[in-house]
Amino acid sequence: MLKNKSVPVGNLLVAWCLGFFLFGTPANVHAKLHIVSTTTDLAAIAEEVGRNLVEVNFICRGYQDPHYVDPKPSFMRLMNQADLLLYHGLDLEGTWLPQIIEGSRNRKVRFGQMGNLDMSLGIDPILEIPQGIVDRSMGDIHPFGNPHYSMDPVNGMTLADSMAERLSILDPDNEKTYHANAEDFKSRVASKLKEWHEKLHDFEGTRIVTYHRSWSYFFHRFGLKYLGNIEIRPGILPSPRHLAELAVEMKRRKSDLILNANYYPPKWAELLAKKSGGRVAVLPVHIKGEPQVNTYIELIDYLVDQIAEKLSGSAGK
Amino acid sequence: MQRFLLATGLCVFLFSAPEIFAQTAKGPDEELKEFEKLMDQEILETMESKEYEEEKPLGSKELKRLDLMEERLKKVEGVARQRTTTFGTRGNALGATSTGVNRLFNPAISLNGLFTGAYRSEDNRKGSSGSALGNEFDTGFDVQELEFNAVAFVDNFLKGVMVLALHDLDAIEIEETYVDFVPFQNLSIRAGKYFTPFGRHNLLHAHQFPFIDAPLANVAVLGAEDGINEVALGINPILPLPWFSEFNFLIMDGRNDELFDSDFSDDLAYLMHSKNLWDLGENATLELGASYAFGQNGTSFEDTRTHVVGGDMTLIWSPLNRTRFRSLIWQSEYLAKFKSGAFDPTTAAAAPDEDVGGVYTSIQYQIHQRWWIQGRYGFVGLHQDARADEDTHRYSALLAFANSEFQSIRLQYNFIDFEDNGSRGFDEEHQVLLQLNFTIGSHPAHTY
Repeated sequence: MLKNKSVPVGNLLVAWCLGFFLFGTPANVHAKLHIVSTTTDLAAIAEEVGRNLVEVNFICRGYQDPHYVDPKPSFMRLMNQADLLLYHGLDLEGTWLPQIIEGSRNRKVRFGQMGNLDMSLGIDPILEIPQGIVDRSMGDIHPFGNPHYSMDPVNGMTLADSMAERLSILDPDNEKTYHANAEDFKSRVASKLKEWHEKLHDFEGTRIVTYHRSWSYFFHRFGLKYLGNIEIRPGILPSPRHLAELAVEMKRRKSDLILNANYYPPKWAELLAKKSGGRVAVLPVHIKGEPQVNTYIELIDYLVDQIAEKLSGSAGK
Repeated sequence: MQRFLLATGLCVFLFSAPEIFAQTAKGPDEELKEFEKLMDQEILETMESKEYEEEKPLGSKELKRLDLMEERLKKVEGVARQRTTTFGTRGNALGATSTGVNRLFNPAISLNGLFTGAYRSEDNRKGSSGSALGNEFDTGFDVQELEFNAVAFVDNFLKGVMVLALHDLDAIEIEETYVDFVPFQNLSIRAGKYFTPFGRHNLLHAHQFPFIDAPLANVAVLGAEDGINEVALGINPILPLPWFSEFNFLIMDGRNDELFDSDFSDDLAYLMHSKNLWDLGENATLELGASYAFGQNGTSFEDTRTHVVGGDMTLIWSPLNRTRFRSLIWQSEYLAKFKSGAFDPTTAAAAPDEDVGGVYTSIQYQIHQRWWIQGRYGFVGLHQDARADEDTHRYSALLAFANSEFQSIRLQYNFIDFEDNGSRGFDEEHQVLLQLNFTIGSHPAHTY
């Protein structure tokens, strides 16, 4: 059967699209290295290490739960311009970051590339690595361990070293500057570390209830302990029985402090405090989580001061 | 009577789970008061228990778990940790099985199940589902779909995806199988069989549908099966504009019976889509999209093409501070096809054109951390001439409970109004649909 076609529209479209989009899109040209981090914590440390040599953007706001972020296309656009991606790893961003990376069409930040840096690689030890079989009956468990390691200031120093190392590879001309900036940051954190230890020294061994296990690294560093968590398992809301057990245990151990990260609902913590006679501290766990917390040192300073103040006068251990 | 019993049974079944559905009738304050009352009872029971009086450890599972975790922490801290290179990702080092085969490189695999119950007030002849617009389900219970999803990187260039779907327990379909590739900065290429980016809804698998059924407009314009799901080669650049702008151009094999059913193998079909998204502050986004596809639809000496057009608008409000657990999605789409009648060489006459268009608009509102209420209006009847089918309106309401992102229970009510009814024998229909949707395994995140 013969066919009579008028215009080869399809062929024209193919040629136009291939020509324009393969060769017509401008290359990314930056005077500065463009860093995109998943959290404000990593962004703040990257700014300390890179200073005027880098431009830093972040995805998750300081008052936002980093476990749950909508992979908006606007983040893909941001990632499209990145030379270096910094992320916590350990599955913290596992539900949303891969989609942003893929949607960005940026080869530099794909897994396995030099522009993709999993910050957990330098952290040792990783806490709370589940032993044995892991499944979803355990809630939103992190199978590779607790990813909230930036709450430990010693880990903050490690993060600065890792960033300096990677920035030096991407921008070897400024290697010395990156390492010098990292050393400067580390020395400031180290000098504060002694002060923070002194402030919390009297409370070593104190048991505290928290909503989620966001505080493990902070507790590990300063000798504090969990009494329990409000959520039954990671991401699973509490039951009346669970909170009742916690309330009774708080009374028995004379433990009266409940820490609630400021992106979790405070109503369970308030109810627990009402039944146990305890008190609630709603605190930021990331930089820019509160207006007065804009740097890494300010975050740890704020947390140490708030917790020390709340624990003063408490008899519980 | 049977219909009444079935409808009642569905409702009773759904509402008999008091722990889940009692919350719908209560406000947050009332809910918290009830929680507090239950907690008081538990505290009282514990304080009066023998263990408490004797000041022994409570011995609850929860506290035991915490003690165990503390012990594990100590162990973990004492163990010399295996370090990976700084170019990889830290993960579980246990990959080898007893046979020496490494499982680390297996694809991420997930399974999704959709179980549905349906009640229709009209036309309950067995097998009538799918025979006309608006009756996608038979009265009764069914396994709507089981989906198998496997995703993995093929090598340092390609990512491979395969999705198999088992429909009604009697037919397996390769729903998607494709590879993604980023050859240049700003550009990705997708090749294989996949749901093409024609508007918003056409991209979705059945378990991702915002409602239990697909919008009428998608069914009437793009086809009742999978919409425009084609073997295609697509290039997908991000355009260098001040907002997020993605363009898709696809060359498709054109096997969609509803739109492109040419007998000639060189009659390819083409699809273009533009997706544009703006942030409205940090809590909301507005997306506008436009789609166009065309291709030969029949054998003829003349061009008998089908042109398909679409426009979509989506407003999403999702506060970053999750302490409120409120969000809203307002989505609307317009779809239309203009299908030239095929020339019939035996009668030397052209068949009449098949033009039809439709719209839908829907709102999904999250009223609680785990609860959604939704409404949708759909209409099909645009661009039809006098000889064509009747206009159809459908009004839908849905209540969804999602205990986690891996399961949901949804109850939906449809009222369908058929205007200018001809052959149906009825001009209105009521439907009640119930669906359990669950996912197991490692399922990739859904698109925004």
